[in-house]
Amino acid sequence: MSFRRKLLLVFALTVFISVAAVGWIVSVLSRRAFERTSDDRTLALVKQFQREFARRGDDVVHRVEAIAASEPAAHMAVAVTRGAPDYGAYLSEAKSIADSQRLDFLEFVDGQGTIISSAHAPARFGYKESDLSLTQPISKDAYLKQENVPDGVVLGLFATRAIAIGDRSLYVIGGRRLDKDFLASLELPSGMRVLLYQNFGPAFSAQLLIDPSGTVEQADKLAPLIQAAQQKPGEPTEIIHWSSDPADNESMHALPLRGRDQQLVGVLLVGQSQRSYVELEHQITLVALLVGGAGILLAGLLSGWTAGRVTRPVEQLAQAARQVANGNWNTRVDLRSKDELGELAESFNQMTRELLEQRERLIQSERVAAWRELARRLAHELKNPLFPLQLTVENLLRARQQSPEVFEEMFQESTATLLAEIANLKSIIGRFSEFSRMPQPQLQQANANEIMQGVARLFEAQLRSQRAGITCTLDLDDRMPMIAADPDLLHRAISNLVLNAMDAMPEGGTLTLRTGHDGERVRLEICDTGTGLAPEECERLFTPYYTSKQHGTGLGLAIVQSVVSDHGGKISLESAPGRGSTFRIELPLNMDKLSATQSHAHAAKPASLI
Amino acid sequence: MRHFDLRLLAASSLVLVGLAHAARRPQYGGTLHVAIASTPSSLDPAALGQLDAVTCRNLSSLLFDTLVTMDDFGRIRPALALNWQAHPGNQRWQFRLRPGVAFDDGSLLTPGAVAASLRAGNPNWTIYALDDSIAIELNSPDPSLAAELTLPKNSIVKRLPGKVSGTGPFRVSDWQPAKKLVVAASEDYWGGRPFVNSVEITLGTSARDQMMLRELGKTDLIEIAPEQARRTAMEGRRVSESAALELVALVFTHQQPSPEDQKLLDALALSVDRAAIKNVLLQGGGDPAGGILPNWITGYEFLFSTEFNMVAAQQRRAEVPYAPAWTLSCDPADSLSRLIAERLALKAKDAGMTIRPISTGIGDLRLVRTSLVSVNPRVALTQVTAALGLPPPGLSGDNLEELYKSESALLESHRIIPLFHLPVNYGLSPAVKNWGEKRTGAWDLGEVWLGTEKP
Repeated sequence: MSFRRKLLLVFALTVFISVAAVGWIVSVLSRRAFERTSDDRTLALVKQFQREFARRGDDVVHRVEAIAASEPAAHMAVAVTRGAPDYGAYLSEAKSIADSQRLDFLEFVDGQGTIISSAHAPARFGYKESDLSLTQPISKDAYLKQENVPDGVVLGLFATRAIAIGDRSLYVIGGRRLDKDFLASLELPSGMRVLLYQNFGPAFSAQLLIDPSGTVEQADKLAPLIQAAQQKPGEPTEIIHWSSDPADNESMHALPLRGRDQQLVGVLLVGQSQRSYVELEHQITLVALLVGGAGILLAGLLSGWTAGRVTRPVEQLAQAARQVANGNWNTRVDLRSKDELGELAESFNQMTRELLEQRERLIQSERVAAWRELARRLAHELKNPLFPLQLTVENLLRARQQSPEVFEEMFQESTATLLAEIANLKSIIGRFSEFSRMPQPQLQQANANEIMQGVARLFEAQLRSQRAGITCTLDLDDRMPMIAADPDLLHRAISNLVLNAMDAMPEGGTLTLRTGHDGERVRLEICDTGTGLAPEECERLFTPYYTSKQHGTGLGLAIVQSVVSDHGGKISLESAPGRGSTFRIELPLNMDKLSATQSHAHAAKPASLI
Repeated sequence: MRHFDLRLLAASSLVLVGLAHAARRPQYGGTLHVAIASTPSSLDPAALGQLDAVTCRNLSSLLFDTLVTMDDFGRIRPALALNWQAHPGNQRWQFRLRPGVAFDDGSLLTPGAVAASLRAGNPNWTIYALDDSIAIELNSPDPSLAAELTLPKNSIVKRLPGKVSGTGPFRVSDWQPAKKLVVAASEDYWGGRPFVNSVEITLGTSARDQMMLRELGKTDLIEIAPEQARRTAMEGRRVSESAALELVALVFTHQQPSPEDQKLLDALALSVDRAAIKNVLLQGGGDPAGGILPNWITGYEFLFSTEFNMVAAQQRRAEVPYAPAWTLSCDPADSLSRLIAERLALKAKDAGMTIRPISTGIGDLRLVRTSLVSVNPRVALTQVTAALGLPPPGLSGDNLEELYKSESALLESHRIIPLFHLPVNYGLSPAVKNWGEKRTGAWDLGEVWLGTEKP
C-alpha cells in the first residue's frame, strides 16, 4: 500500500471513528431519554385507566344501588320472602331493568343464592350464583369478575347490593362489560394503544385478546408477556417485534387485573410504539453518515494536499531509488524544499553523484587492470614462442660463423622450428582477436532443449572415441518454454563448457546435460564427475585468461560468461575437489525483448523495391 | 205514571235487546287488518313452503281452494270436489268437481285445470281429466290421499306467467312481496261472499310491533308467541288458542348415531327439565312432548316418556368414556328458541355433557320448531319427518298401531327428542266477530265480520 493511501486511510479512520463515537453517544443518550419519556407516558396511561376504571366502577355501583332501591326490586324481594318465587313472572324482569339502567349484566338472587332472574343468561333461573358468597360481607366497591354468558365467559365490572326484607335478602348483582368499547373510551396519546387479555384459563388463547377494534392480529406474539404476567408478580414489560422493521416494534407494559379474591381475571396491555424512536435513531445515523462522509471527503482532500506536500517528494525519492537499483545511477531528484524532505533529496542527489564518480573510477581502474592483465597474458603467451625463436636465430648465427657444413645442417631444422613457432604466435593472436570481436546476440525464438541436444550430438563421436569413456546423459524438461536467445552463441557457450567438462574427466566419467525452468527463467546445467575445483579456483574461474589447465588461453569460460551476460542471464559454479563440477546457466525468457526486437527489425527493414 | 214507567222499561228493554241482537248479526263491509311476522315472496302455494305450515295454509286459503278440506277432527269435507271415490286398493281415486266454479280471472274451473295444478306439485301422480271429474292414479296405495289433497301445496292454482289465479274467497288487489298483501272479497265466491270487503295483511312485522299495532288499534288480528299468550290473556286481551300444533324438538343431525351417541342422547333426553321450561320460559304455555305428534291427534302420545331424571342422565353419560362437545343450533331470530337452547345446555352440563349453543351454521343438534300440516296423523308424521330431514315413516295405511310403531321407531333411532307441543295463538281485537276458534289454528276469514267495538 502506498504512503498516500496509508495517509488517506489514517485520516479517514480518524474522522470515521470520531463521528461514530459521537453518533453512538448521541444514540445512547436519546434512547435513554426516549425510554424515560415512554415510561412516563405508560405510567400516565395506567393512571388514566385506573381513574376510568374507578369511575366506571362507581357508575356501576350507583346503578345497582338505584335498581336495589327501585320498586320492581322491592316487589321481587317481597315475593321472595313469601316462598319460592315464580321464575316465569320474573323471566324478563332483569333484562328490562338492565336495559333501562344500561347495564350489561344484572341478576336477582335470593337469600339462598338461587338466581331468580338474569338479564344476560335468562335460562339460568333456579341455578345457584356461584360467585356470591353469602357468608362474607358484600363489597361496597365495584370489582372485576368473570361471568358466564351463553356465548362463553366475559369479563365485567360488577357491584352487589342486598335488599333486606325481614330476615330474608334479595341480592342485586349488576355490571358492565370490560370489552372493546371500554378500551375505546380511553383517551390515548399518539403512538400508544391499550389491549385487554381476558384471563379465562391457564393456557394462552389469541381469541381472548381484544383491542378497541375487536381482535388483535399476531396475538401469539404477546403470549410470552401475558404468561409472564400470569405466572409472576409485578408488571412485566417487553419489546414486541411485530415485523422485521424495527420501526414496528412496540414496548408493551402488562398490568394484571385482579378480582375480589385477588385471582387474576385479566391483563391490561399498554403499548407504546417505538416508531418515533427508531425514526430518530435513523435520523441520527443518517446525520452521522453524512457527517462521516463529509469527513472522509475532507480527509481525502486533506490527504491530497498532504500528498502534494509529503508523499510526492517521498514517491519521487522512492522512484529515484528504484532507478538507481535498476542501474540508472544518473538519477536526480528535483525537489526544492527547505525541510527535511529537501535535505533528504539533496543527500540523495549527492549520493548518486558520488556513486557515479566512484563507478567511473572503478571502471577506469578495471580497464587499467584489464589492460595490465591483457599485457601480462600477451607477454606470457608471446614469451613462450619468442624464446625458441631467439635461440634458433642465435644458433643459426653461431653455426654460420663455424662452418658452412654445420650451417647447412642446422638451417633446415632451424627454419622448421621458426615456422612452427610463428604459426603458434599466429594462433595466439587469432584467439585474442576472436574474443575481442564477440558479436552481440541475435535474439530469436530458441528451444534450449534442442540446443542441448545439438551439443550432445556434436560431441557424441568425440566422447565415444575417448580412451576412457565418458557417458553423456540428457535430463531435459519436456515443458521447457521457448526463450529469446541466439542459438549459435548459446551452442558455442555450452560447447565450451562441455569441452571443459571433458578435460576434467581424463579417466572417464559421466557428463550430464540438464534443463529446467521456474516460470520466468530457464536453467541449463552441465555436470561432470571429474576432479572438481577448489573454492579459490571457483572464484577466479571466470576471469579472462585464467585457466587451470596447463594449456589454453583461458578465454573459453570468459566467452561463456560474455554470452550469458549478453543474454541477461547469469552463470554459477558448484564444485568441490573429487566431486565434479556443475556449471549452471540461468537465462530469462526475454520474449518481450524478442517482440520489441522483431518490431524494431520490421520497422528498420527497408522497403523492398518492386 | 206507572204505565209510563212500564212502557219506558219495555221500550228500553226492546232497544237493548235489539242492540244486542244487532251486535250479533253479521255485517258486511270493512277491512280486516292483520299483521304477521312471515315474509312470503310469492303467493303461489307451492312457493309458500318456506313458511310455517299454519301461516302457509292460512294465506293460501284466502286465495285458493283445495279439492277437499279437513275439519278439526280430521274428517274430510267437500270443497272444490263434491264427492270422491277410492277404488279398492286405494291406488286410484276419482273426484267429481263442483260445477260453476270460476277462477278470479273469470275462467271456469275445469278438470284440465285441476289436473294441471295437481301435476305441478305431484309429478309421481298420474292424473286424468275426465268430463266432470279427475282421476288420480298412484304408484302405491295411499289411503290418505284425500287428506293430502287438503294440504296447501295441493291447492288448485291456475298458473300464468307472473301471476297465479285461484278460486278462493278473496282475490289479490295489492301485492307487495314480503311487505304487504291486500285481498278483496270475491263477489261470486262459490262458498258465499265473505263478510269483510277486504283483508289487509302487513307482512314481516315483529312480535313487539304487532303488539304495538294492536294496542294502537291498527290491527284486528296478530300473532302471539306461546310465551306471551298467558300474560296477554291476563291483561284482559282477547286471545285465540289452537290445539297443540307446533312441535319443538331436538334433532340430531348425524345420520347414523353411534352407540356412544345414542347413550349421550339418552342422557340428554333425561336431562331436559320440561316442567321448568314450560313454567318459566313458556310461561305455562304448551305441553311437554314425548312423541312427535300431539296426543290430541294420535291418542297415544302420552305413552312416550317425558321424564326428567338428572341422576339417570348422569349415569347414562358415565357409560361413555369420552363425550365430545356438541354444538346446538337454533333460529337466531327466535328468542324463545335461544332461551330453550341455553336452558338445555345448562342442564346438559349438569349431566356431564358439553352442549354449546351457536347462532350460525348447522350444529350437531338442531332445536327446531315445526308446525303440523294436517290433523291426519299419517300425513302429519310424513310431513314432519320430511321437514326435519328424518327417514320417512314408511306407512302403508292409517292404522294407529302401525303409526305408533313407526313413531316409536323414529324415536328409538335417536335422531329426534321431542320437547314440547305448542299451540298457535292469535290476538284479536274486540271488533272481530265470528272468529271460530279452530283446533288447527286455521283462519276462516270468509266467515269473520267486523263489529263496531273499539279496543
